[in-house]
Amino acid sequence: MMNEQRREFIKKTALGVFVGLGAASGLVPAFSLEKTALPVWDEKPVPGKIRWGMLIDTRKCKEGCQQCVAACHHEHNVPAFKNRREEIRWIWKNSYKNVFPTADNAGASKEIQSRTFLSLCNHCADSPCTQICPTGATFKRWDGIVEIDYHRCIGCRFCMPACPYGSLSFNWQDPRTAIVDPVTAYPTREQGVVEKCNFCSDRLIKGLQPACVEVCPEQALVFGDLNDPASDIRVLLESNVTMQRKPELGTKPSVFYII
Amino acid sequence: MIEKALKGNRSYWIWTLFLGALVASGLSAYYQQRWLGLTVTGMGREASWGLYTAQFTFLVGVAASAVMVTLLHQKELTKTVIIALFMAASATLMSILFAVADMGKPDRLLNIIFYTNPRSLVFWDLLFLSGYLATTLTAGWAMLGAEKKGVPPPAWVKSLLNLSIPLAVGIFFATAFLYGGLPDLSLWVTGVLALRFIASAFAAGMALLILVTLIVKKTKGLDTGKEAREKLAMVATYAGVANVLLLGVQFFTTFYGNAPLLWFSLIAGVVSVAILLIPASRKSQQWLVAACTALVLSVWVDKSAGLLIGGELFPAPLGSIVTYAPTSTEMFVVAGIWSFGSLLFTALLKVVVAVKAEHRG
Amino acid sequence: MKSRKLLWLVTFAAISLFAAFYLFSNGEAETPQKPLARVSVVDSTKCIAPKEFMRANHMQVLHGWERSVVRDGDRVHIASNGSRFQKSLGTCLGCHNNRLFCFSCHSYANVKPKCWNCHLSPMETQ
Ligand code: SF4
Ligand code: SF4
Repeated sequence: MMNEQRREFIKKTALGVFVGLGAASGLVPAFSLEKTALPVWDEKPVPGKIRWGMLIDTRKCKEGCQQCVAACHHEHNVPAFKNRREEIRWIWKNSYKNVFPTADNAGASKEIQSRTFLSLCNHCADSPCTQICPTGATFKRWDGIVEIDYHRCIGCRFCMPACPYGSLSFNWQDPRTAIVDPVTAYPTREQGVVEKCNFCSDRLIKGLQPACVEVCPEQALVFGDLNDPASDIRVLLESNVTMQRKPELGTKPSVFYII
Repeated sequence: MIEKALKGNRSYWIWTLFLGALVASGLSAYYQQRWLGLTVTGMGREASWGLYTAQFTFLVGVAASAVMVTLLHQKELTKTVIIALFMAASATLMSILFAVADMGKPDRLLNIIFYTNPRSLVFWDLLFLSGYLATTLTAGWAMLGAEKKGVPPPAWVKSLLNLSIPLAVGIFFATAFLYGGLPDLSLWVTGVLALRFIASAFAAGMALLILVTLIVKKTKGLDTGKEAREKLAMVATYAGVANVLLLGVQFFTTFYGNAPLLWFSLIAGVVSVAILLIPASRKSQQWLVAACTALVLSVWVDKSAGLLIGGELFPAPLGSIVTYAPTSTEMFVVAGIWSFGSLLFTALLKVVVAVKAEHRG
Repeated sequence: MKSRKLLWLVTFAAISLFAAFYLFSNGEAETPQKPLARVSVVDSTKCIAPKEFMRANHMQVLHGWERSVVRDGDRVHIASNGSRFQKSLGTCLGCHNNRLFCFSCHSYANVKPKCWNCHLSPMETQ
């Protein structure tokens, strides 16, 4: 399955590589940051063609395992503030009751209710966060990813209560003080802006899978194009019973769960 | 005309210096916040809005409700119009300052204009507020200037006043539905919230205006007229009744009942409305002062406490109720902005009083 | 004779294409951490624009890059002479690889650009 998925990636990326041969990459000296890798999509993307999505098979996800969380937070320089008030998170585990508060608990077994579930930004197709943002700093990209433009965010925090999933975190203070093991390949954020999961848009342009998907030892996470009927994720969605978070709100999340 | 604000008696200067000192301490607190980040406030991940937002909501309501004086367009109110306009301008300025104080990156404020998102109610709200500030301040100043010269105000003042009406309506709707648009609130709660925002705004705004005219009368001997106050009291009463009813409804349908401060708000609201409804007590100045003070307090507490309990007006997305307690830094900033607005309003009122006295004399 | 040459040529082209694709896809699949391809031309004799222009307008250029990359996903800068560059701070620093390149001028002119609030500056790394 993994291989199929890679093929899907390669299919999408092969064209870009030939086009992009002239672009700068590789030869950047060791000190430089955010190394210029050959972009996979180096042509202007077609809006609406791709819609990235994720499927989380919670049956495979091991209780107590934090590998995806650690990988994501490391890769994106997410600061590790200890106190709950200032906590910043892109992906985290939470109880059934908190992840699916509006699901019918009567239908869930004791076992399910005692498990924890991954939560992250759902990259909603109909996203209230982008709608409320006065500057368009939180915006929907051409590929369905809801991205935050950290150059533009004014820190008004209207997006935070607008998101029904608590996906956004605010930098109450300078995040650089709390980054444990900084990486040079990705920028940090600064004091006063909001941040959240970016579906690894930084890795996608290099033709990589999201960090959480790649690192999961159980392969519980599947990532792909929801608009492509032949993609793994679509095939799995069609052959499994899945659910989304708070579907009744009409936000159309792009993250699905197999319970 | 502004030089008239620089002449005053002892108590005037004590009052201005007092406000000035508060502004200075607010500035130093704000400097700390700019430097260290909003971490110096009591806000956090789940309670991401706090005192600043509460003041913003309260002041936006007060500002926009002043349009009622223009709207009623009655003879008794002609003397009140300028005061109402200046109150609107000061309150609008304060509300904008509170919005800015709440931002993580106020240096990027103009991004709202550079990169407008027309779908965002936040954008419309701030746009209307700026427009309202400009129209009320200009119109008030022009009317005052005309009065000084003893001529009727120029014709464009009328158009400005007319323009301020749709702007105020826009402010009401944008603010009410800004909070109403948060997805975790049911349609029912949303509707009640929006209506109650408007009702409470008129109640508090008119009550505050009555208090201001009474203060001006007492300290400066400038009386805008008992009939004017009665008109305003009438509006405040209607709005107060509606607000109390809607607040009561919320006590039954949500867990407002768990917050002691909101009980205070409800009781103060009921008592003040009761006083205003009884003709005998409405006509007595002492009772009027008491009722108006209670009404303003009731609404202010409700706007603040609605946030303090965190779980209702702005529910934490994951259903947990997070307690939020403002820090002293936050309170100094709040006091500073209030003082700045009051300082401006005092100076403007001073000019009004001086001009009117000159005219009379 | 001629057809034989052509056959060789086609075979060679086919093999190299196949090899390139194979190598690339393998490299991508097995060691995903590596960039997709190492073939590239960063020609330090080529500039994205003349020096004088850049001296006066680099902020606008960078701002334009930032906007078009983040907002539109348009990642390739085509210079007036037709050469292509990836819109990235890394592209700039790839040629201007003196660590003090940005700082010497900025500190002289006493300007404090905000780039390094988030992007790690050359001064902060080894
Ligand atoms: S999960 Fe929240 S932050 Fe992510 S797109 Fe949906 S509303 Fe926006
Ligand atoms: S905090 Fe930033 S991203 Fe969120 S609504 Fe405000 S400007 Fe937009």
